[in-house]
Amino acid sequence: MVKKFVMFVTVICVALFFAGVSHAGVVKIGAVQPLSGNLAVYGQGFKMAIDLATAEINAKGGINGKKLEIVYEDGKGTAKDSVAAVRKLIDINKVPLILGPAASTNFLAVAPICENAHVVLIGAESASPAITKAGAYVFRVFPSDKLQGKGVAELVEKLGYKKVPVLYINNDWGKGLKDVFVANFTKKGGKVLAEIPYDQGKTDYRAQLLQIKRFNPKAAVALVYVKDGAVIFKQAYELGIKTQWIAGSAAKSGKLVKLAGKAVEGLTGTYPAFSNTSPAYKAFAAAWKKKYGDKKIGIFAEYNYDMVHLVARALAKGGATPDGIRKALYKVSKGYVGVTGDKTFDSNGDVGSAYGVWSVKDGKIISKR
Amino acid sequence: MTIFFQSLLDGLIAGSIYALFAAGLTLVYGTLHFINFAHGELIMAGAFLAYLFMMPPLLLSPLLSGIFAVTGVVLLALLMDKTVFSRLRNANPLLLLIASLGLSLLLQNLAQVLWGAKIRAFPFPLQRGKVFGPVVITSVQITILWVAALTIFLLYLFLKFSRIGKAVRGVADNPVLAKTFGVESEKIIRIVWVVAAILAAVGGILVAADTNLEPHMGIVNLVRAFAAVLIGGAGNVWGALIGGFIIGLSENLGVLLLPIGYKDAIAFFIIILILLFRPEGLFGTRWGVR
Repeated sequence: MVKKFVMFVTVICVALFFAGVSHAGVVKIGAVQPLSGNLAVYGQGFKMAIDLATAEINAKGGINGKKLEIVYEDGKGTAKDSVAAVRKLIDINKVPLILGPAASTNFLAVAPICENAHVVLIGAESASPAITKAGAYVFRVFPSDKLQGKGVAELVEKLGYKKVPVLYINNDWGKGLKDVFVANFTKKGGKVLAEIPYDQGKTDYRAQLLQIKRFNPKAAVALVYVKDGAVIFKQAYELGIKTQWIAGSAAKSGKLVKLAGKAVEGLTGTYPAFSNTSPAYKAFAAAWKKKYGDKKIGIFAEYNYDMVHLVARALAKGGATPDGIRKALYKVSKGYVGVTGDKTFDSNGDVGSAYGVWSVKDGKIISKR
Repeated sequence: MTIFFQSLLDGLIAGSIYALFAAGLTLVYGTLHFINFAHGELIMAGAFLAYLFMMPPLLLSPLLSGIFAVTGVVLLALLMDKTVFSRLRNANPLLLLIASLGLSLLLQNLAQVLWGAKIRAFPFPLQRGKVFGPVVITSVQITILWVAALTIFLLYLFLKFSRIGKAVRGVADNPVLAKTFGVESEKIIRIVWVVAAILAAVGGILVAADTNLEPHMGIVNLVRAFAAVLIGGAGNVWGALIGGFIIGLSENLGVLLLPIGYKDAIAFFIIILILLFRPEGLFGTRWGVR
């Protein structure tokens, strides 16, 4: 009887001992991802990439010997639920860092909360230029759309066009992008024939298109989204405007081709690209295949994977406090080349990017890096 | 110069459609004495019903879809009158206006629930426009022009020569006098709804064929129609038709002088000018045609 009791107590003590050890040996960070709702189809892929990177980090000894653990919360793809999830992670779980929600709107909704609470927020999918100014604790490993302006200017120049009109969506994204394009293009000696804004969600853009038609340009830049783009390119086709349309990455979508058909045949544009032949990419793809078999690599999985590896390095260097991580992120990112290229943060917590070229050929989108 | 002629043509096409909207809106105003904000949703309903019939699983021809859609919108207008406006027949026009605003919001949101907010297009094959000298016109636009012209011509015949049409004008002119002559005003009101609904639905289908459809297309076009009604003098059908063309032309020609972003503001600008300087409309009572 006594023997049994002693054994029982021993087992409990051992269990408690190990429980304590594992508790002390864990570094917890938060993640708000769209695990259900509209964006769930992407969210599952993000989670797989995050889990893959976490498993790799822990297999290599974790964060200075401690295990890295991700506390997931479901942002459901909406700003409201993302905010609730972030509040829970900050108030209850007291995490020093949160892997932020997808879609710029959701990301921007939670950014002020993290900024006020002095908790680091880092994103892997949000492209809005507004995020640049979202705060000192806000980072992203995805390039700002603003950089696109430069990419488009380089593409127009490379294709040999000297004079182009530019049609752009009349919002923060479009105006910012247009300004960057115009500045870069004129610096290269190009001439912008006209700057023509349009409002999103209209059904008729022919007045704008006529302004382009009057120049009869060899090429025209269209900084458009998919849906407006479809309306615009169709009406341009009907109006008989024969020009080389050049777009940004926001229009790079099979959906555009589906909506606008032959009107977008020959359309070309830029998009943030990374090499899929680099050693880093090959290692990532092999690791993905090993863990997930033949499951396709999800959209932006590479960015999520780089993000977790960067965060792990910052945790190791700066400790698991928000300010430690924040300072360390700048140091560890310097010259860090991940799967998606150079991830050096600028003073706003933004990264640069290389740009590839996409075009529509025979109703299909062809990407060239 | 090319851009001038093209803008002129675009203005005529837009104007012919606005004329249909404005004629219906002004007819309702003439008989019921309130601005029907839900008129825009009759426009939207016409476009969306036609879309519904044209797309799978029904896949009806455009003509058949159009006829069914117009019928559907007529029923919708009669339902609106039966459930809301007929109960407020002798109420303050302000109450009617607010009721119509409520209906408008209800129908807009209903459409958004049913079809979503995204922009849709009729399943017409994409074609290059035909080139006639300085202008480009698509075959859809040619169809729009003659359908609009035919509709306006039929409206003219109806109001000018048919007994019912004359009665409609009579009620609009002087309801009390019309009643003493034995015109049954409830019947006339129903006929006005039918005519207004047909004009709105035909115009809505045409505007959707020319551009695209979305649940809020009604309110956008209502603003134009309202401006056209004011130009013509409220209640004046011929004035509203001319007003529609004036709006369409000034919008499309105006952007040759103004920055492009002001295109949508032109109708508002005209509304303000008319209300300030000629509230009775350009062809106010002096012309006396109703």
